[in-house]
Amino acid sequence: MAKKVAILVGTKKGAYIFRSGAARSRWTAEGPLFQGEPVHHLAFDPRDGESMFAGCNLTWGGPKIRISRDQGKTWKVGSNPAFRKGKVATTSVFDAGADFPHEVTEELAFKRTWHIEPGHASQPKVMWLGVEPAALFKSEDRGETWKEVEGLTDHPTRPKWSPGGGGLTLHSIALDAKDTKRMHVGMSGVGVFETLDGGKTWSPRNQGIPAPFNPDKDDPIGQCCHHLVAHPVEPRVLFQQNHFAPAWLVGDGEANWRNVSEGLPEASMQGSKDTAYGFAAAIHPHDAETAYVVPLAAKDRLAPLPGIAVHGTRDRGKTWKRLANGLPKARAEVMREGLATDRLDPVGIYFGTQAGEVWGSADEGKTWERIAQYLPPVMSVSAATIG
Amino acid sequence: MATVTVRLHGAFSDFAGGTRKVTLEAATVGEALDRLPNSLPGLRERIRDEQGRIREHLNVFHNEEEIRRSAGESAALRDGDVVHLMPAMSGGE
Repeated sequence: MAKKVAILVGTKKGAYIFRSGAARSRWTAEGPLFQGEPVHHLAFDPRDGESMFAGCNLTWGGPKIRISRDQGKTWKVGSNPAFRKGKVATTSVFDAGADFPHEVTEELAFKRTWHIEPGHASQPKVMWLGVEPAALFKSEDRGETWKEVEGLTDHPTRPKWSPGGGGLTLHSIALDAKDTKRMHVGMSGVGVFETLDGGKTWSPRNQGIPAPFNPDKDDPIGQCCHHLVAHPVEPRVLFQQNHFAPAWLVGDGEANWRNVSEGLPEASMQGSKDTAYGFAAAIHPHDAETAYVVPLAAKDRLAPLPGIAVHGTRDRGKTWKRLANGLPKARAEVMREGLATDRLDPVGIYFGTQAGEVWGSADEGKTWERIAQYLPPVMSVSAATIG
Repeated sequence: MATVTVRLHGAFSDFAGGTRKVTLEAATVGEALDRLPNSLPGLRERIRDEQGRIREHLNVFHNEEEIRRSAGESAALRDGDVVHLMPAMSGGE
């Protein structure tokens, strides 16, 4: 069957699906779906080739997860994840202007979905869900029901977890390509956590990530991960954009994260050349040395002049290339889930902006075409390669 | 047990497939809220979170009183009372 691509776009008010053949030159548009509901993330399940999931976070009436079993033609409301009845947890909260955080203890309740991740290929019924307040849920029935990953919620460092600008969120889930028991999650204001036993036990995994605001230089947590991805084929390859830089973690054991910001726009730096601000990050599905980021000016979180651009590296960050042919000279903003790649060859790259535009490149960033405009602010972009 | 009317406003009517008014029997406001999803399953999890708390952006009125400012969920219902479910109007960004 000829391959197709569907770009799943979550916006501040509903979701959209843009579909194309393998040429990725003409797109049809569907939407808005889930009218008026903020959609932080949509995911496609490549294992069955049919399922799609949407994290819908309506203020009134609470969050819902919607599920499609027919590539987005029809949708149903799924079961919400639920914390243990009466589960109480303490976290640290900074009030505006305060120098020190104070502890807040409250019953945990599911507030928002931030990321939905299909499980390992060898576990076709497993799904993972990252939510706010920061926690991980697992489904063993293709997303119909969810169970709290208690080992992470109950981590002894939790009283020191402190929300980032978007809240105390678990927004990234990165599965190892080979090892079903090995995974990493990214949390705002907290950093990356690692499990090597399928989620029973967790450890912070932030060695090498800068956190210059923290007076405790050896603090294992508090490094603000903005977005984390794993290579889908090559094991032991992680890439993240954090508050201070893009970074790679390759290998295991004593390996440290390696920050790779040299060559990115000066305006995205924060006082030194080994920093580059941004949120979005994506990895090339066929080449474990190639990745993409969208640098933002640290001062106002908009793309620096001369305008919005994806920056790509083909050598794990030794060098970066600005990929902007066809993009407007506009200071747009791209959110943490706003950048994605498809699985075709050449790989398609897609991003969405807070100005309501979706851009795509069918040639790995050499040229860009606008897929959509005048959407509500785009919160997430996912690429489904179908067939 | 009293026979009361529950009126659904705004998004809460949408969650219930467009239903705007339900008659049911309940002794307290809290019991009325708990019985609503029996006939309108689209309201399940829309009214309370998993810890049983009324969602932050939902205002529940017992006749003309907002329950957070009066007797809360334990307010006793009488025949003919009206319970309103109204999305909170809260500011933008």
